[in-house]
Amino acid sequence: MLNFLGRRILYTIPVVLIASFLLFVFVRATFDPTAKLRSGRADSAAVAREQERLGLDKPVVVQYTNWLGDFVRGDWGQSERTREDVFDMIRRSLWYTVQLIFWGILLSATIAIAVGVYSAVKQYSPLDYTFTGMSFVGLALPPFWFGLIAIELLAVQPVKWFDLQQPIFSFVGLHSGDSTGFNLDYLRHLALPVLTLTVQIIAGWSRFQRASMLDVLQSDYIRTARAKGVPRRQVIVKHGLRNALIPLVTVMALDIGVLFGGVIITETIFSIPGMGRLFYDSLLAGDATVLVAWTVVTAVFIVTFNLLADVLYGVLDPRVRLS
Amino acid sequence: MSTADARGAGEPLLSVEQLSVTFPTDDGLLHAVDDVSFRVMPSETLGIVGESGSGKTVTSMAVLGLLPGRARVSGRVMFEGRDLRALPEKDLEKIRGDRIAMVFQDALASLNPAHKVGDQIAEAVTVHRKIGKSDLEARVLELLDLVGIPNPTDRAEQYPHEYSGGMRQRAMIAMAIANDPDLLIADEPTTALDVTIQAQVLDVLERIQERTRSAIVLITHDLGVVAGVADRVMVMYAGQQVELASVDDLFYESRHPYTAGLLASLPRLDRRADKSDRLHRISGQPPSMVFRPSGCSFHPRCPDARLGGACTQSVPELREVRPGHRAACHFAEEIFQ
Amino acid sequence: MIPEEEMRRSDSQLAGRMDTGGIVPTELSARAGVELSGGGGGDGPVARSQWQLFRKRFLRHRVAVGSIFVLLFMTVICFGASWIAPYDRNSQDLLLGPVSPNADHWFGTDELGRDQLSRLLFAGQISLQIGITVALLSTVVGATVGAVAGFFGKATDQALMRFTDLFLIVPDIAILALALQYFGQTNFTIILVLAGIFWMYIARVVRGQVLSLKEKEYVEAARAAGASPFRIITRHLIPNTIGPIMVDATLAVAGAIIAESTLSFLGFGVQPPNTSWGKMLSDAGGYVGTDKAYLLYFPGAAILITVLAVNFLGDGLRDAFDPQSGRK
Repeated sequence: MLNFLGRRILYTIPVVLIASFLLFVFVRATFDPTAKLRSGRADSAAVAREQERLGLDKPVVVQYTNWLGDFVRGDWGQSERTREDVFDMIRRSLWYTVQLIFWGILLSATIAIAVGVYSAVKQYSPLDYTFTGMSFVGLALPPFWFGLIAIELLAVQPVKWFDLQQPIFSFVGLHSGDSTGFNLDYLRHLALPVLTLTVQIIAGWSRFQRASMLDVLQSDYIRTARAKGVPRRQVIVKHGLRNALIPLVTVMALDIGVLFGGVIITETIFSIPGMGRLFYDSLLAGDATVLVAWTVVTAVFIVTFNLLADVLYGVLDPRVRLS
Repeated sequence: MSTADARGAGEPLLSVEQLSVTFPTDDGLLHAVDDVSFRVMPSETLGIVGESGSGKTVTSMAVLGLLPGRARVSGRVMFEGRDLRALPEKDLEKIRGDRIAMVFQDALASLNPAHKVGDQIAEAVTVHRKIGKSDLEARVLELLDLVGIPNPTDRAEQYPHEYSGGMRQRAMIAMAIANDPDLLIADEPTTALDVTIQAQVLDVLERIQERTRSAIVLITHDLGVVAGVADRVMVMYAGQQVELASVDDLFYESRHPYTAGLLASLPRLDRRADKSDRLHRISGQPPSMVFRPSGCSFHPRCPDARLGGACTQSVPELREVRPGHRAACHFAEEIFQ
Repeated sequence: MIPEEEMRRSDSQLAGRMDTGGIVPTELSARAGVELSGGGGGDGPVARSQWQLFRKRFLRHRVAVGSIFVLLFMTVICFGASWIAPYDRNSQDLLLGPVSPNADHWFGTDELGRDQLSRLLFAGQISLQIGITVALLSTVVGATVGAVAGFFGKATDQALMRFTDLFLIVPDIAILALALQYFGQTNFTIILVLAGIFWMYIARVVRGQVLSLKEKEYVEAARAAGASPFRIITRHLIPNTIGPIMVDATLAVAGAIIAESTLSFLGFGVQPPNTSWGKMLSDAGGYVGTDKAYLLYFPGAAILITVLAVNFLGDGLRDAFDPQSGRK
């Protein structure tokens, strides 16, 4: 197992490095850190000085290695937009995003497994058709539109309909005022953003889990379990679900990338100061320093999640352990 | 129904009466099993022989109530005085794995890849009775030993994919006999194995039977397997029984053209053959189970069929053509005399 | 890892990836991920009557058939906007300002007095155009590359996999948004950039299918009989993958529409004076909670209906090509 993990890590390190190099080059090519300077003073000497200060006059590879050296030591530069330390910015933002993603995965996995198992066991029942229909709609809904509509129909309008003091669901940030910690206020703030983030994922995972479960329930070992006299419920969970979860783990790991992309939309709509919001603001401002650090950090996260999923996969499926 | 068959009288352990199974398909109703009746006496070995699609597996699944929901089943399956078909699922679950157990072919697919072998065998026990942890462990090791798996302590902790094919099959048998069932149904237990391993597995079955005195229903397409192990044999074709007799009677005095054809097509190493001799085969293909031939299902392939006569017009009944020997052929007596 | 394991995992990866996230919807996931072990649709040598079989199976899916009509309707009214739309593409009525839906303006007007229905139709041209073109382009490129990689294996295959791996570790929206900043945001570049990402998904799925088809006995038989690679590809591999490829292409349309509208909503996609459904939603985004919220419903509904119809169509095609998939 460790062997397997070791090999995977060894493989992903070059991938991350190459990707970071490409991103570095690309972002630098897209956004000129001296652009502000140029549009402002247009004094070529000042521009040249700034270029030298930022090391832009050196060859790309050298720039990259310098950057990489700084990066692994924790020096991620200063944001061109806010002049803040990028490391701090990202650390702060990550905290918010991690919360969203955590709750998102929890919610999605729970619903997907429940719906998937039910739909497979009671295939073609009215509820199964309903779930399938909902999944189709969920997959066709642009998440950003869902977010807007959710705010409109679940937060804003009910105040008018039911003559409420304040909206049931809050849609700005994750906490009201000074409130902190895990409380009802927090949940009311979480609800809509997490839902927006996960609506497509829930739809997708549910369908996938249903398919996976159906597949597994056709297996011969299910027949054996029944022939042994194992009660139905136990067959479904201990034998069926146990094996049907395995492919889902892979899908879940892969959708981490989707989640990190999804927060860009969600945090923007719900004014949550997370990584997604950071990306949005930085891209609009052309803040190359932040963008490079952002993409590398995100990549590392995604890669780590994938590795974790590999481990989980190995835990669930004994057949891959001995490679 | 006639009285006692080849082997002595006494109460049958299992009595299948007029069992029929059909499946609705896009093209029509598929008749997988058509009016099959047979008995299994305690401690005897009944072989059920037939090619793929003859209905032998479906029959055994019907006994245990393991067919999918869309199957339509009629008939009775009497076991210990109760009709298994009429039992609620909960009661059936108590019988499965305890009084009647099943061994499937392709043990790799039939064992749960995510559970250790020892745990799966243990499950067969704990589902049916309460047992202490150390007793359970001892029992699992005992069973593994019984079926001839070496190093049972280590092997119990392994997963199915770590076993060889023959060992897996034996593990399945261990699982099936965990509760000393009265009846063991083995569905093609040797089909996926090569010949030497086959012999080992059959050997295990025989030894088990000696020890536990359970009855065995052995389903196979291989006449050679049946010859060595069975007391009585039932031959199935196109979902119907065509012959039912003691093993000796079947091999030496077969009374159905299909059986005769099967026997004739066995390659014989003990007879000289001329250069011009060819391997005998039964011409044609098994019929569609949806659109069946009129009259006797075998008539399109039967070298002795009287076309235009009874063979094409009426389905032959399974009748006694010799003492304790039944065949479903209108002209059984004429053809074989 | 065993090659099949890797393949199954990486493609269910792919599938899962395409599944959600507003970028590439995944019917492909349900398909590629779980069914992959069985190989692509339609086993065996291709018979002429397969087309009839396919048609018969497809027509049984009333929802899919209905979706074709819905899509045709959408296409006609959008591309025929110049003739159908009640108001001119750019006509404004500043005196009128924003009005709720009424008899004159079925979908209301925005703050510049522009009729929303007309805008919706013209915007639809862009959204549909981008969606379809991206799908076609990425399918052609992706299927070709995937088939070649799968068939010739070894180096080409590894090259494809490693290259696409690079793009898997950064979220798609981020890559797309960044790329569009670099290449500019004309309709043309949007199409190219989107296709530049989408083809990779399709390539991996097709590669997986080809890999499993390669193992099938009839391919081995053809090889043993001395068939040239070209012949094998054209006679055996393509006919058996064309079905799933068409399904992929269809689903890619849905993905592309959602991707474009997401990007445009964020402001990184279609730019004025062009407009798309996503752009309209971007303009309307600030009106949540106001009495102008009606501006939100129609473009979003347009996207939803179109994508839903495309997905149903893709589902119907999938079942028609591969009835063994056996699930709704």
